[in-house]
Amino acid sequence: MSQADSILERYAGQLHAFPAAVAASFAEACRTLAERLPPEALDHWARLGMQLAELNLRSFEAADEFFRASARLAPAASTEALEAVAHEALAIAADSVPLATAFLRAAPQALEGFGFEHFEQWTSLGRRLYKGNWKSAALAGQFFETSASMAGQVRLGQLSRLVLFLDELARHSYELASACLAQVPTVFQRLGEEDRLPYLTYALELAQSSWADARLYLDRGPSLLEKVHQPVRERFLLLAAQVAKGYGRSAFQYLEAAAEGLAELEPDQHHRVIELAEQLAPYSPEAAMEFLANVGTVLQRIRFEELEAWHETGLRILQTSYEGGEAYFRLQSAKSEEMLERLSARVDLARVGEVLRLYCKALTGRNVAIQNAAALAEKGIGWVDETKASTEGTTIFLPERMERYATKEENFAAYKVFATHQAAHLEFGSFEFRFDREPRVFERTLPAPASANGTGAITDMERYFDLFGDRQLASDLYTVAEDTRIDAAIKREYGGIRRTLARLQRDELARRPDVRMMPLRQAFVENLIRFSLDGSEAIRWPAARSEPMAQALAILSKLQDPEATVEDAAEAAARLYRIAVTIPNVFEEAEIEWQAVEPAESLSAAMEGGKLGPEGAEARLGDVGLGEGELEYTSPPDPDFRGDFKPELVQLLMKLREDAQTGQAGSGQPMQLTPEQLQELLEKSVEIDLDALMEGDLEQTTGLFLSNLQKEAGTPMQDKKDAPGRPTSDQSTGEGESEQPLEPVVSVYYYDEWDFRAQDYKPRWCAVKEMVIQEGTEEFYEATLREHAGLVAQTRKQFELMKPEMFRKIKRLRDGEDIDLDAAIEWMVEHRVGANPNDKVYWRRNKVERDVAVAFLIDMSASTDEEIQKRDKRYDDDFDDDPRRYLSWWVSKRRHELSHPPKRIIDVEKESTVLLMTALETIGDQYGIYGFSGYGRDNVEFYVIKDFDEQFDDRIKRRLDKIAPIRSTRMGPAIRHATYKLLQTNAKVRILFLLSDGRPQDHGYGRDRTEKEYAIHDTKQALLEAKREGITPFALTVDRAGHDYLKTMCQDMGYEVVADIESLPSRLPALYRRLTE
Amino acid sequence: MTETAPKGATIYAVEEYTLAEEPYYLPIGDEVELFESAYEQHIPVLLKGPTGCGKTRFVEYMAYRLGRPITKISPGSGRHEEHRVPLITVACHEDLTASDLVGRYLLDVDGTRWIDGPLTRAVKSGAICYLDEVVEARKDTTVLIHPLTDYRRLLPVEKLGQVIEAADGFLLVISYNPGYQSALKDLKHSTRQRFIAIEFTYPPREQEAEIIAHESGVDRATARDLARLGEKVRNLKEHGLGEGVSTRLLIYAGKLIAKGIAPRRACQVAITWALTDDREVQRSIEEVVTSIFE
Repeated sequence: MSQADSILERYAGQLHAFPAAVAASFAEACRTLAERLPPEALDHWARLGMQLAELNLRSFEAADEFFRASARLAPAASTEALEAVAHEALAIAADSVPLATAFLRAAPQALEGFGFEHFEQWTSLGRRLYKGNWKSAALAGQFFETSASMAGQVRLGQLSRLVLFLDELARHSYELASACLAQVPTVFQRLGEEDRLPYLTYALELAQSSWADARLYLDRGPSLLEKVHQPVRERFLLLAAQVAKGYGRSAFQYLEAAAEGLAELEPDQHHRVIELAEQLAPYSPEAAMEFLANVGTVLQRIRFEELEAWHETGLRILQTSYEGGEAYFRLQSAKSEEMLERLSARVDLARVGEVLRLYCKALTGRNVAIQNAAALAEKGIGWVDETKASTEGTTIFLPERMERYATKEENFAAYKVFATHQAAHLEFGSFEFRFDREPRVFERTLPAPASANGTGAITDMERYFDLFGDRQLASDLYTVAEDTRIDAAIKREYGGIRRTLARLQRDELARRPDVRMMPLRQAFVENLIRFSLDGSEAIRWPAARSEPMAQALAILSKLQDPEATVEDAAEAAARLYRIAVTIPNVFEEAEIEWQAVEPAESLSAAMEGGKLGPEGAEARLGDVGLGEGELEYTSPPDPDFRGDFKPELVQLLMKLREDAQTGQAGSGQPMQLTPEQLQELLEKSVEIDLDALMEGDLEQTTGLFLSNLQKEAGTPMQDKKDAPGRPTSDQSTGEGESEQPLEPVVSVYYYDEWDFRAQDYKPRWCAVKEMVIQEGTEEFYEATLREHAGLVAQTRKQFELMKPEMFRKIKRLRDGEDIDLDAAIEWMVEHRVGANPNDKVYWRRNKVERDVAVAFLIDMSASTDEEIQKRDKRYDDDFDDDPRRYLSWWVSKRRHELSHPPKRIIDVEKESTVLLMTALETIGDQYGIYGFSGYGRDNVEFYVIKDFDEQFDDRIKRRLDKIAPIRSTRMGPAIRHATYKLLQTNAKVRILFLLSDGRPQDHGYGRDRTEKEYAIHDTKQALLEAKREGITPFALTVDRAGHDYLKTMCQDMGYEVVADIESLPSRLPALYRRLTE
Repeated sequence: MTETAPKGATIYAVEEYTLAEEPYYLPIGDEVELFESAYEQHIPVLLKGPTGCGKTRFVEYMAYRLGRPITKISPGSGRHEEHRVPLITVACHEDLTASDLVGRYLLDVDGTRWIDGPLTRAVKSGAICYLDEVVEARKDTTVLIHPLTDYRRLLPVEKLGQVIEAADGFLLVISYNPGYQSALKDLKHSTRQRFIAIEFTYPPREQEAEIIAHESGVDRATARDLARLGEKVRNLKEHGLGEGVSTRLLIYAGKLIAKGIAPRRACQVAITWALTDDREVQRSIEEVVTSIFE
């Protein structure tokens, strides 16, 4: 009998008490172990197993697992190990059998992975999670299994950190802890060995402050961390952990934002950036995280070397004010914006657009607008490149920003060259090409004007291009010819930018593609471009073919003559075209010599003298066709600073505009472009990239293009609608301004907002949308006048008294218009008696002017909807409780209510406004009436009821009707906008009158809806700004609690609280009188 | 202009001050012939045009051409020597009243004494009376000149109970700047329609360059650049510039350049800063300047 059999026999009786499976696994383990263990040890093992099985009611399950584990352990494990497992299992099973089972299931793998020396530690980690309940047992069990499955790839140190994390989470939710644990293997797999500890450190911190985000962190953490350069990941996480300590719930969002921010940088910059963030952390970890989150945005504006200076300034602010510093790094402070702007070499079009607009206006003498090039692409009228400068005849489009050089000055200078080039197209008539005008420096070889008509071309430019077989080639040659002329003119006329232009040309030359890699005809055009960039030395051309190139250069250089016109450029392009078509578009053999070419001394007879008849010329210009081995011609790239030049399209647009205008002025029929014509133009013109424009099929694209073009040109699309009952505007003005736009025109203005905590402005924080209020009926206006007839007459009289006399006689002057007889006699008498006479005997009339402008700002917030007097109990008293009469009582009550609706605050505000308006009309002050409301900072609505320059008429009366309660009260931006409006007037005395029903309040106007200080401080600041501009602000409120905040808001400015709101209509004019007298 | 030796102030009696040299004036159109004919025919002349385009210079030049020396006085300066004053320029301002033009009583030790105003003097002595910026004057003054500007050629002097018939050489010339047009400052039609109007604008580029070169002493190329600058800046007229840059300012810039000031700097002080306080517009003009001058 083998050793195993004897053991089996010995314990068979005991095993009988358990399910058969236990005995089976015991038997199997016993046989396996018997091969390795000495009999005493085997017996000892069996005894331990039995001890486990009999420990308590269900411990046989653990024992079963123990036997299986033993079997698996057998080959490697020592006796001590087996014993240790058994002892641990016994200890655990005493607490929880399922945990012991789980432990035993994991034990073999763990032993193998961690080694016997760490086994005990591993066990204790798991046991730490057990808290005496079944949930913790499940978690601990899961831990044993999960960690064992990772054994070998994970260190115990990491596991112990993990346990701390899980322990923390388990305090809140076992489910969450368990779910997180389930993710750990995946996470660990994705993380590098050295990232795991810091990763868990942060996790622990997060679990303590914002445990609910733990799952999210485990989900997204690894991929976020990948964005951070490996060597600094640990520091990054430790930094983030600091934030987590202080900023509980939003900690993970900070981490996420910061990682995303870092992702925008080069990995080798991370180290320094983290260092900088660490400097901020002691003051405010939040600022440090904001810094990381925004550093990418910042670095788009400034160079990396400049980051420290920007950081430094922010750090100093942070040291004095946490709020200020945090706002700075959140990029929500004017100082940070200012600093960025100062450091940044980049020049934004938004900042210099106005200067450039006036500059271009000065140059061209036309009212050109400046816009972002993207705006042109958006129009869908043929331009597609959003970054290239261009013009469509009325507007100059420039790239959104310029950052090609290291300093602001250089970048601006480059901008100027871009703008000058486009302006020069307008100034020197690039788009005024006329087919029938003769060139000046060339002799015409183009067909005579009369010969080529009837082609159905819409514009002269189109007619010109129609002459050529290869339109693309012709267009390129025309472009290079015209640009040569324009750049020469710029250099001649504007000596001051010669240097920058030359620099841009040089840079452009350096960027040109290698001419030797091009097929010949293309290389020909490329060389012309180089020549036009003043780069004669950069021209490379096969030596054997030098003659045509030299001829071409000679033609081009003639365009630098001050006399040259756009027709010369067209003529030159035609001549170049004739040369170009003689050059095959093939690759030259590799070993051929390419050399520089000088322009020919004189134009050869063939070019100059050989004047071609119309037919001949056309034949020479005709279709090129591909010769043998020839490649399709493609254009070399356009030089950057010259942008997109589309003469054909511009001429078309100008023609459409002209027609639209003459059409509207009533003379002549507007020319309607038929879709067929357009289709033809679209297919023909190389200036329109159909593929890029394509939306849907060709027909759709054409249709869209047509309507875009017409919209752009202002061509009337439908019959003009006559506005009923309104006199039609004077036709002779030719302005063609439409009467009333159907939709309210909204113009958006941006204003800063004052953050009193940061003691700084948040730049461009609020968007004020100005729109004219809709029109209602005049009924309200008339009714108010009727209702307050007495008051109206009274106010009017009072105001008439205020009207100053135009001239006031001032007496007793040393010098004046004439002698004052009385004073003169007095003087004479005194003189005769020898007294010292008063020689002030002249009088003069002095002009007294009343020059007042006032802006009324009416609060249209929802709170003005409140009724002033609740319908009192009169009706209830009326009712005599006789149910038979109830119905009639109710009907009469209802009728009364309908005819006399309860008055709301807004109604009183409106009535007061009406009264004041009649008064103001009497006195003749300039005034504007505006309402404001809105929701949130992007949506401050500013309603124009009467603008300063509008006359008081029925329209205004109808608009008054539409004043109604809408939404919130963000006063600051409304005041700022009213200030702006007031500053547009030229009055000597400017008054801003604020009429409200309560304190300023809006979404995001303060930390939360209940915080008052922020809004009040911003409003105060806005009022102060107005005051600084020489405006007298005055606030009037009907809120009885108004004293509280008005005291802060207005301080030394005027304010009044009208306690009895119904007195407002009489009070308002009186106040106004007092204010301006 | 030739350089003159530095000298102290010299005081002239109103009539004694005459211009020895012919004022430089470059005729642009037929204005000289027009004026000469009008003078002969006693037709009052209205000169229209923006500031600094040469209106005053033109009158001086015509006074000289018509063989008369020139005198300038300002109203109420209290000179009373009886002399013949061939050209009297009155710069009108908003407090200029009828008595400032006609004359007034002054107090004397023994009572009052009458003193003729500049207009009365001109009427008596047969001079050209040039009322500069006439719209600035008070409305009553314009009514005063009505009888002087039609066939009657009379100046009623109310306070003296006199009517003065103008001497033969008298001619009333007024100037007026349509650029300031506002409802308040416009000429009444009853006044307007008593004058022939000669319109002045800034001279075309070539002529302006010639004037700048002559007046400031810069070389032709610089003068041409200045003229070009003038043309460009004038394109910005409605942007707080009221009117474009005047020829006078361009000449000032030229003079500074002739004295060795760097052109960009000279344009900055003489043109950019002189024209406007608006930073944005200043910047734009600056950009035009830096585009034209190196």
